Amino acid sequence: MTEQQYPRLSGEWMTPRRRFLSALYGGRVDKVPAMTLSSVITLEAMEIADAEFPEAHLDAEKMARLAATAHENLGLDTVMPVFHSQLEADALDASTWWGTKDNWPAVDDHVLTDPEDFKVPSDYLERRSFKAALGAIRLLRKRYPDVGIVGKVYGAWSVGFHMVGIENFLMDTILDPDKIRRYLEVLLPASMMSAHAQLEAGADAIMWCDHANRELVSPDMYRDFLLEMHQQIQAEVGGPSILHCCGETTDRIDYFAEAGWDCFHFESQVDPVKAKEIAGDRMSLFGNINNPTILFSGNYEDCYEACMTVLNAGVQGVAPEGSVPLGTKMEVLAALADSARDYSNAHRPDGRFVVHDPPEAGGDG
Amino acid sequence: MVQLSGIANETIRAEIEEFLERPEEIERNVELFSRASPAMQDIAAALIEGDNETVDRLTVAALADGVHALEIMDDGLIAGMGIVGIKFREGYVFVPEVLVSARAMKAGMAHIEPILAASGVEPIGTVIMGTVQGDLHDIGKNLCIMMLRGGGFTVIDLGVNTSPDEFLAAVKDSEARLIGMSALLTTTMPNMARTVEAFKDAGLREQVRFMVGGAPVTPEFGEEVGSDGYGKDALACVALAKQLALEVRR
Repeated sequence: MTEQQYPRLSGEWMTPRRRFLSALYGGRVDKVPAMTLSSVITLEAMEIADAEFPEAHLDAEKMARLAATAHENLGLDTVMPVFHSQLEADALDASTWWGTKDNWPAVDDHVLTDPEDFKVPSDYLERRSFKAALGAIRLLRKRYPDVGIVGKVYGAWSVGFHMVGIENFLMDTILDPDKIRRYLEVLLPASMMSAHAQLEAGADAIMWCDHANRELVSPDMYRDFLLEMHQQIQAEVGGPSILHCCGETTDRIDYFAEAGWDCFHFESQVDPVKAKEIAGDRMSLFGNINNPTILFSGNYEDCYEACMTVLNAGVQGVAPEGSVPLGTKMEVLAALADSARDYSNAHRPDGRFVVHDPPEAGGDG
Repeated sequence: MVQLSGIANETIRAEIEEFLERPEEIERNVELFSRASPAMQDIAAALIEGDNETVDRLTVAALADGVHALEIMDDGLIAGMGIVGIKFREGYVFVPEVLVSARAMKAGMAHIEPILAASGVEPIGTVIMGTVQGDLHDIGKNLCIMMLRGGGFTVIDLGVNTSPDEFLAAVKDSEARLIGMSALLTTTMPNMARTVEAFKDAGLREQVRFMVGGAPVTPEFGEEVGSDGYGKDALACVALAKQLALEVRR
């Protein structure tokens, strides 16, 4: 037998993009990915990239430069340029306040009172929010062929909050459920077009945000209004799918898995061990480092320790639970990548692939 | 001891039996509804069911029958909303159900408030409420406002996206001493700290009490930003406001 002619695959041998996609599908990885799924943009990052809010929300070049700091400066395996949540709503004529350097954009007026009045505009994907986001994804794909690019879509339920107003929307789930079903039906194509366009522009996966969390609605409401629609999305989205739902979601993770999502990005209210137990092998889990206490108010060590807790639970990737407060320090966020590296180095028995400890054994961090 | 059977309204009896678990809450509600007239129990039951039209009709009828506005508010509207609040806290109902009941409460309060205002009933205190800067979410804040008003407070609602300066101006204009700040986004929560800081800078911090709340807000975070208390939900908000109102009166 001849001497091996090629370098043996060991350590961190996968590209970040390959690692991210493999983890998303629950596959083999050389290192557990540390990611941005929601925004990790901070005031510091804006200085580094010379690209600030609110201009960066509507300027492809600035958006791309700013998004790239997640990989360049934080060492994360992904970038995610759609920082805000207004992509679809703004293009659907909801009135948008684009915020300031240190404040996030938001919808400031609701325009829809009857689902029959709704129509996706013919130039929907050419409107300013899409022009910037799709342009940024194209630039990032060109500049970072080996880094995972996450696209972000607000689903029909959450776009409904923006278009109809959350109070009216939620009240009608009880007073006029058929109206809500009709809203979801007419709004879904707008979300689907957004997903397709981002995938075509070069996104590797779509994070689909529909906020049906326990702080708002019952798990039965998810089942009755969203489960079937989310199953339909899997067949039509055309790329890997990550569901994001804020807040406490333990009592509906089973439904999320049943809906067929490839992965669920969960928040810190959910115990990662419990989430893993429910999801099993049906759906990957990315999460769930707490924003206010750990990332914003904590230090590097707090973040590192929180990441290790999540990694020891056996989730497939570590990431902040949601968009981080803009005043978060990058030195704290640096613990995301460091912890994933250290955990993986300690859990790579053959030198090639990470193997998590069995749940009952716990982890050694 | 007052018995559940002393309550005439079947819906109220069933609600207490099925959804109330804490002995002190069962006792308090059985006592409250046993002494409330059947007409007040009917208002409370309609409110729990979110039937705004019935609440409106029964409130008008009760006033026409000479029932005092305060009695309708306490024994009908607030008593009913108290059950809804407990069910929400315990996870039996969620925001949509609470919103529908709140709509029913509003229908009744529309008749009650002008009468109370004209009769010079003194509020327990005045609370300035606002969602912090950068945050346009107001469901939680609105639920708290509705419960605070029902609990006898006057509320100045600054709405959403409220800057520290707007909170400051409202305190100067009204001489209110209680401030409630709400945030739904982890990205906007830091603006609670900025608001508290603005009061320190203006030399007004010691004169006011801050309450914080919102889905991602925790008691620890409330402490960290220098607030005086955290309310997990609308019921807790009212209890906290009552406690802090006593402090600022001293």
